[in-house]
Amino acid sequence: MNEHDHDHDHQAPASPYHRSDRPAEQDKALAERVARIESLLIAKGLVDKGALDRLIEIYEQDIGPMNGAKVVARAWLDPAYKQRLLNNATAAIAELGFGGLQGEHMVVVENTPQIHNVIVCTLCSCYPWPVLGLPPTWYKDAAYRSRVVIDPRSVLTELGTTLDDNVEVRVWDSSAEIRYLVLPERPAGTAHLNEDQLTELIDRDCMIGVTKVRVS
Amino acid sequence: MHSTCALPRKSGELVFHNEWERRAFAIVVSLAAQGQLKWSDFQQQLIECISDAERDDPRNPSRGYYESWLASLEELLRKKQLVEQLAHVAREA
Repeated sequence: MNEHDHDHDHQAPASPYHRSDRPAEQDKALAERVARIESLLIAKGLVDKGALDRLIEIYEQDIGPMNGAKVVARAWLDPAYKQRLLNNATAAIAELGFGGLQGEHMVVVENTPQIHNVIVCTLCSCYPWPVLGLPPTWYKDAAYRSRVVIDPRSVLTELGTTLDDNVEVRVWDSSAEIRYLVLPERPAGTAHLNEDQLTELIDRDCMIGVTKVRVS
Repeated sequence: MHSTCALPRKSGELVFHNEWERRAFAIVVSLAAQGQLKWSDFQQQLIECISDAERDDPRNPSRGYYESWLASLEELLRKKQLVEQLAHVAREA
């Protein structure tokens, strides 16, 4: 795992998808391939440079797990909202203003003391962009994608989450149309917190399902 | 070339490692959002590219994730004949 990951306690092996160590010539060749495609598509009127710039900005700055955190906090505080979220996640998420590409068919799965849910895309990297932004590199690694369906408890333990034997683990594969979001359990000791304070407790990993929400 | 500290992060992790990754991502999203390509077609191509990259040793794929993304975009543009010029370019390994 790269050294810039501040919210992980675990030490995963260096990811082959984290290619900041790629040789400069290789990066240059890749950049040239992309630039060529971009200019061909612009010349054909199929993409607009400004629109591309704006898209990049949106996915780097505007869209991210803080969106999902708001959904979770609202569900914790409002039982009627939580029910709507479980019945029709896409619509309930849209109530908070989130939606769009890769969030057209949302399903929210609720963690309970008896059930722990975790999400994967075994074949590629499908991920609920509108509520979580873009996936982390480890989510895209073959190691996670294959192991979490075969031995989820071990993967969770390695990521710092140890579950009791009587807890059922459910792994949801996002390879088709549906995109999943985990509704994590609200931890004890948070009854006094308001919605904004609760939102700050909820990070990306607990909505993927590899961690639980911790009260710091 | 951006220094790594200048690249944005979410949840403490870099979203993109390079400018070309950023552009390749935006191109696919833009084409899909405008309906010039179907997301499911791109996804299928990406699945094939990743599977191909991981065939020999999944822990050491022959291509990084965004390289597979780029290869998938090129292949789809060829197949859909969206960009004739690409049909004459030799496929990248």
